[in-house]
Amino acid sequence: MPSLSLPRVLGGRKLTFASSNFRIRNLTPSNQSQEAVTRVSPKDQHLAPGGAPLGGGRPASPATQGTPPRAIWSRPRCPPPARAAQWHVLGPARRKMAASVCALPLWPRVVPWSRELPGAWRALHTSAVCAKNRAARVRVGKGDKPVTYEEAHPPHYIAHRKGWLSLHTGNLDGEEHAAERTVEDFFLRKFMLGTFPGCLADQLVLKRRANQVEICALVLRQLPAHKFYFLVGYSETLLSHFYKCPVRLHLQTVPAKVVYKYI
Amino acid sequence: MAAGASARCLSVRGALRLPLRCRWAGVCEPERGCRFYSKSAALPKDEGTDVTGIEQVVIPKKKTWDKVAVLQALASTVNRDPTAVPYTFQDDPYLIPTSSVESRSFLLAKKSGENAAKFIINSHPKYFQKDIAEPHIPCLMPEYFEPQIEDVSEAALKERIKLKKVKAAVDMFDQLLQAGTAVSLETTNSLLDLLCYYGDQEPPADFYFQQTEKSEELEQTTEENNKRASVKAAHQAGVTWKARNNAERIFALMPEKTARSYCTMIRGMVKHRAYAQALDLYTELLNSRLRADVHTFNALIEARALMANEKFEEKWNGMLELLKHMSVQKVKPNLQTFNTLLKCLRRFHAFGRMPALQTLREMKAIGIEPSLATYHHIIQVFYQPGSSAKAPSLIIYDIVNELAGKAFSPKDLDDDMFFQSAMSVCSSLRDLELAYEVHGLLNTGDNRKFIGPDLRRNFYYSKFFGLLCLMEHIDVTLKWYKDLIPSVFFPHSQVLIGLLQALDVANRLEVIPQIWKDSKEYGHTYRSNLREEILMLMARDKHPAELQAAFADCAADIRSTYESQEARQTAPDWPATPLNCVAILLLRAGRTQEAWRMLGLFRKHNKIPRNELLREFMDSAKESSSPAQALEVVRLASAFSLPICEELTQRVMADFAISAEQKEALGHLAALSSDSDSDSSDGDSSDGDSTKGR
Repeated sequence: MPSLSLPRVLGGRKLTFASSNFRIRNLTPSNQSQEAVTRVSPKDQHLAPGGAPLGGGRPASPATQGTPPRAIWSRPRCPPPARAAQWHVLGPARRKMAASVCALPLWPRVVPWSRELPGAWRALHTSAVCAKNRAARVRVGKGDKPVTYEEAHPPHYIAHRKGWLSLHTGNLDGEEHAAERTVEDFFLRKFMLGTFPGCLADQLVLKRRANQVEICALVLRQLPAHKFYFLVGYSETLLSHFYKCPVRLHLQTVPAKVVYKYI
Repeated sequence: MAAGASARCLSVRGALRLPLRCRWAGVCEPERGCRFYSKSAALPKDEGTDVTGIEQVVIPKKKTWDKVAVLQALASTVNRDPTAVPYTFQDDPYLIPTSSVESRSFLLAKKSGENAAKFIINSHPKYFQKDIAEPHIPCLMPEYFEPQIEDVSEAALKERIKLKKVKAAVDMFDQLLQAGTAVSLETTNSLLDLLCYYGDQEPPADFYFQQTEKSEELEQTTEENNKRASVKAAHQAGVTWKARNNAERIFALMPEKTARSYCTMIRGMVKHRAYAQALDLYTELLNSRLRADVHTFNALIEARALMANEKFEEKWNGMLELLKHMSVQKVKPNLQTFNTLLKCLRRFHAFGRMPALQTLREMKAIGIEPSLATYHHIIQVFYQPGSSAKAPSLIIYDIVNELAGKAFSPKDLDDDMFFQSAMSVCSSLRDLELAYEVHGLLNTGDNRKFIGPDLRRNFYYSKFFGLLCLMEHIDVTLKWYKDLIPSVFFPHSQVLIGLLQALDVANRLEVIPQIWKDSKEYGHTYRSNLREEILMLMARDKHPAELQAAFADCAADIRSTYESQEARQTAPDWPATPLNCVAILLLRAGRTQEAWRMLGLFRKHNKIPRNELLREFMDSAKESSSPAQALEVVRLASAFSLPICEELTQRVMADFAISAEQKEALGHLAALSSDSDSDSSDGDSSDGDSTKGR
C-alpha cells in the first residue's frame, strides 16, 4: 500500500507521518527542489527574494549549496527523530546522501519568523523527495536477484496484471473511513511481520468482509506445524480484541519464496 | 364474463396484495393464489368459475422468519465434504493433521496461543480500551482479575466474590465481622455459594483451559471399572469436604439462616462427597420448617444413593422417600431429578432395571421430555458391561424407535454420552440395521453436536466402522471407508486390521497396497500388528502377475520400514513372520536378487525360515539352474537343523548337475543334519506345529 503523496504540490516531495512508510524503497532528493522552494510562494513571504536560504548567520558551505534545502516549513524545534524514523526505509546508497542532508541544522531558518508571530505558524513534516517513478520498483540488477510476481511488477500494473493487497470499501463513492482502514492495514502488516519472524514469503493480503478482517498470508515452512497453530491462535485473539471485530488468519505454506523471475 | 370475474379476482387480490407483499417477498410467488382461498387450492386462472367463493377469504397468520433463515436454508443444501478437515485447522497440506495425536496437539497449540494472547490483553488492559464496535461486544474487552476496591467494605467483599477469589473473600468477611459491620444476608449467601462450590479451595489454576478427561480408556468396560474404582477410592480416601472448614464456620456464624443457605451447604457437601453430613443438614432444614428447592433435592437423591454400607433396596427406598418429601413440599421435579435417579440406578446393577422403567414412566406422566442423557443412563442400566451371561435386553430397539427422527437440544451435561453407549450396544449385539438407525439419528437436525469430544467421536466411529467391516458388503464398506476416513476420525490399527479381514473374506486383496499407503499417512507406519497382518494376507496365496508385482512393491516398502526402525533402535529385531512373508513375496514377483538377500537376513536375525519358503527358493534355484543357490538353501536349512534339510538335499542331488566338491559339501551337511535329526525328533513335531499355525 503506497504512502500518501501530494504529487504536484511539493514537486515530488513526499509528506510522511512520523511513523515509517512500509513500502517506500527509494527516496531521492530531487534536483529541482531549489525551484520548488520558490514555487510554493504563498506561505514563504519570509524568504528573502530570489529564494536564497535564510539563516544569515550561518556560512553557506559549498557542500550545502548543492544539496537541496529541506524542511522550509519544519518546526523550529523539529527534532531529528522525525528524520530518524524514516531512516531505515532508505536504502544504503541513499543513506549517505541523506546524511549530508540531515547534517544541516535547518530549523534556524525559521526562527526569526516565529519570534515575530509566536502562534501563527503551521508545520509539516517533509521527507527527502521520493520520486514517483521509483516507487515500489525493485531495481534491475545483474540477473541474480530473485523477485516474486508481486515485487516484479511496478504499481502501474495494478488492476492490469496485479490485484490489490488490501480490499475494503472505504474508497468507494460515499463511503467513509478509508484512512482508518489504511492505518489498520499498516498495523496489521507490521504485526504479522513481527509475529511470524522470517516466515512471510510475500506481502499480506487483507480482506474486509462485513465486520470481519481476513488476513491471508503466504508463509514459509520454517516452523513446525504446531508452532504455526500457536501463533495463529495468538494473533487472531489479540487482533480481535484490539480491533473489536473478528480477525481470521488464513495461512498457505510454500517451501520457499515463489520466484517469478531473476532481474 | 371470465374477464370480469378474473378482474374482480385481481381487484380482491390487489387489495390484499400490498400488505402481504413484504411477507412473501417473492419467495412463494407461485403459491400466492392458493393461499388466498381457504376452500380451493386451485390456481388463480381456474377461479373464474368460482365467483361465489370469493367471500370466504381467510388471511393467513403472519409468518415470522428467523434472522438467519436464509442462511439455514442454504446450509441445508450443503453436505459434509469428505475430503476436508474440520474448519478449525488451516487448509494447507503442511498444516493438516494426519493422525489423532497430531490433531489434538494442533488444537491444544491453538488454544494455548489464545491463552497467551488473553494473558497479554489482561496484563495491559489500557491498550485495548478503545471501543469501536457498535453494538458493544463485551467478550472482546479485557477482563479484570484483580480486585480494584481496596478498603474493607461490603462492596469489596462482593467484588472478591465476583472475581472468585476464595481466600481473599473469606479474609474480607472476617475483617468485616471484626470491624463490627454486619454483612447483609444476600452477600453472606453468595459467599457461601462460592465456598461450597469450590469446597473452600481456590479455583483451579488452569481455570480457562480445562483439560478434559485426561486418561479416558476407549473400551467401555475399562471405563466402568475406572469409575467404580474411583468411587471406591473416594470412599476410602475420604471426602474432600474438610470438617469445620470455612463454609461451616461461616454458616454457624450466620445470625439467620434462610432456605438458600441450607440448600447451598447441602449441595456443597454432596459435591464434595460428604453425604452423611448433607443428609443431617437436610433434617435440620426440615426441623427449621424451611423448604428445599429442586436442585437440593437432586443433590440429596445422589447423596442417598452414594451412601456406603447400605443395600440397594434400602437406598432405593430412601430415594423414594425423598421424592415423597418433594411432593409434600410441593417442589416440582425437573429433568435433572430423573436423570440423577437413573444415574444412581446404574450402580444397582440388575436391581436397577425395574426402578429405571418406573422412573421413565413417571417422567412421561409428569410431562417432562426426556433428554439424550436419560436414554444414555437407561442403556447403561440395562446393558451393564460386565454381565453378559443372560440374553441381552431388547430395550435398545424401543429406545431407537422412539428417538427416530427427533432433533434434540442440549439439556443435560451427559447428553453427549448417548451415541457412544448406543453404538457400543449395537456393536455388541452385532446388529447393523440398528447401527444405521443410530447413525441416522446422529445426522438428524443438529444432533451431530452430541457426538462429544474427540475421544468419544473416535470410539463411536471405530465401533461403527468395525461393525460395518464385520457385517456389511465389502463395496459399501469401502464407500464408508472413503467417506469417514480420515475426515471424521483417524482409525486405530485395530480398525484397519478389521478392514483387512473383511477384504480377506470378500476376496478383494488387491485393495491391500492402498490400505497400506493410507495407514502410513495415519501414523501407523511402525505398527507391528498391522504390518504383520498385511504381509500375511498378501503372502498366503499365489496371485496373478501384476497383483503379485503390486504386492511385492508393498512388501519392499514394509521391509524398508523395518530397516529404518532397525537403524533407529539399538536392538534390531525382525519377527519371523514378516521375514518369511517379505521373502516369499519378493520371490514370487520375480525380484530374485532381493529375495536372496533376504535369505541372508534369516541367519543374521536367527529366525527360522518356513518349509514352503525353502521349497520355493529351491524351485527358483532350479529355474535359474544355479546349483550354488541350491546349495545355499541347503546350507541355510542345515544351519537351523531343519528336518526338511534331507528332502532338500535329495532334491539337489536329483535335479541339479553339481560338481564334485559341491557333492562333498552336501554330504557334510547331510551328515550334520542327520546327527541332529535323531536328537531333535521332539523338536520336529513342535516345529511342524509352529510352522503350520501362524
